[in-house]
Amino acid sequence: MKLSAISRCFQGVIPSIVASSDAQGMPNVTYVSQVYLVDEKHVALSCQFFNKTRRNLDANPNATVEVYDPVTFQAWKLRLRFLRSEKSGPLFDTMAMRIQAIASHTGMEGVFRLIGADVFEVVRLEKVEGFLTGSGTPEQDEVSVTGLRTELRGLQLVSERINRADDLETLLAAALDALDVYFGFKHTIVLLNDEASQRLVTIACRGYGGGVGAEVAMGEGLVGTVAREQRVLRITGLDEGLRYGRAVRRSVLSDSSSKPVRPEIPLPGLPDAQCALVIPLSVEDRLIGVLAAESRDPMAFGEWDEAYLGIIGNQIALGIDRVAQAEEPASAPSEPHPVPVAAPLKVARPRHTVTYYKDDDAVFVDNEYLIRNVPGRILWTLLGQWKRQGRTAFTNRELRLDRSLGLPEIKDNLESRLILLRHRLREKCPQVQITSTGRGKFALEIGAELDLVER
Amino acid sequence: MPQETLRNFMKGGGVSVIVGTVDADGIPTCCRGIAIASKDDFDTVTVYVPSATAQETVANVATTRRVAISCSHPLSHESVQIKGLTRGVRLAPAGDEPFVQASLDEFGAVLEQIGLPLRVTRSVAHWPAFAIDVSVEQVFDQTPGPKAGQAIA
Repeated sequence: MKLSAISRCFQGVIPSIVASSDAQGMPNVTYVSQVYLVDEKHVALSCQFFNKTRRNLDANPNATVEVYDPVTFQAWKLRLRFLRSEKSGPLFDTMAMRIQAIASHTGMEGVFRLIGADVFEVVRLEKVEGFLTGSGTPEQDEVSVTGLRTELRGLQLVSERINRADDLETLLAAALDALDVYFGFKHTIVLLNDEASQRLVTIACRGYGGGVGAEVAMGEGLVGTVAREQRVLRITGLDEGLRYGRAVRRSVLSDSSSKPVRPEIPLPGLPDAQCALVIPLSVEDRLIGVLAAESRDPMAFGEWDEAYLGIIGNQIALGIDRVAQAEEPASAPSEPHPVPVAAPLKVARPRHTVTYYKDDDAVFVDNEYLIRNVPGRILWTLLGQWKRQGRTAFTNRELRLDRSLGLPEIKDNLESRLILLRHRLREKCPQVQITSTGRGKFALEIGAELDLVER
Repeated sequence: MPQETLRNFMKGGGVSVIVGTVDADGIPTCCRGIAIASKDDFDTVTVYVPSATAQETVANVATTRRVAISCSHPLSHESVQIKGLTRGVRLAPAGDEPFVQASLDEFGAVLEQIGLPLRVTRSVAHWPAFAIDVSVEQVFDQTPGPKAGQAIA
């Protein structure tokens, strides 16, 4: 029996058990948060704290691990012999990623972390006969050839859609739609990297009913960790991992001498996600953003999903980069072209107060937060010109020329900032809309009386 | 204090029980327990292990007597570990079956809250069972975190 035949047992959905013994022959038994399948002869156990198991292994290298199939609940025993503890390297990095993400999410970064990846030789693999009475639950069907063909066809179609898109909004909408239709990723988010603020901003999402504009700091939570490390993270049994992290958090908080810990970071999407797959979107070494998929099914994402989403993620990253480059001026910009001026409409319309706070570039509509930072400055500039001059037609080029907006000289992400602004207006102030009127051109459509206040 | 900790910990049921033993050659092993009880306020405990899967465990305690029993609440991960010596092993009498069944049901109800269907836990072998009587020598905090492994005095 090969270890890979029970690969589901290593996904961390049901906690495994490890038994060890000290030099005097006193046993120790505990749960282990991660049993990692290294190859057909080896597994690695995560070591987060210098605990009893770890000390026992130095005295007696023999151990037994019991793992469980999350679909059938069948138990398997792995008779192990401890070989070494790895403190760095690819295995360590892969195992550390999951722990870092959970620790960061639960506000426990630095408190619990991977100390070592303890590598064992698997001396014997045994099915625990008699563990289940009767048939238990039916075996899950293996992936069918038809299914694989469907996925390959889906991959082709996603690629086509991404390649055809000539603006960022179309590209992201097409990609997330295709992921849903062809791959069954019902809940997906794309966040773009804002290098200036060291934050990731949600630019598109599917299956959540809103959420564009939500931000995650670099290095924080699952998404922030993936962005910082630029490595793929697939967490099955997410709920189990978070419960573990919260147990550590409670333990730390119960110690009166401990330092204050920051609050837990809300998941960016489903509050009850059981499974997450988070992919960095990179071109060469440059982080463009992050693509995250979530599911309420703890077994929703397997190695196949990781592989496919990785390929699609690369396509999306290249697509975003291509669209951004197409948007950027080919040479030094000249004076802006004259733009048409529209007469303000004279009909009875609702009235809103738009307030701009200079200190943090935040814009509020009727005391409700709308947007901030560069998109906030852009909106305030557009509204000012509309109010003073009655302008409704604008170009990306003139925004790039406007130094007061603080756009970076290169890779200014103007298109993504405008998409974000457009989404936020649609959600929070539908009477003010920004609509594309062609490549690099857009119109400001205002269906309300606006009072502009600067503070 | 250890007795008080164990008393409070077992209240309400739904506890996950795992048992660690070691053979004469120092090879450790583990198995799932189905239930745990005490008739003398936790000076000793009786842990029930399914006879279908506990042959190795029973053989070990018969030779080395040393036992580790970890009890945890699956929802919160709060855990304690009992270290002790075997006082006796017997096939659990029929009169204990309702208690063992009830313990499994309570555990199943907890696991159902975290997504494991009841039909799955009900399919776990639980009877007949061996009852292992263990003297409580030491109790350790085993909740994940920096205090895991500390003895409860």
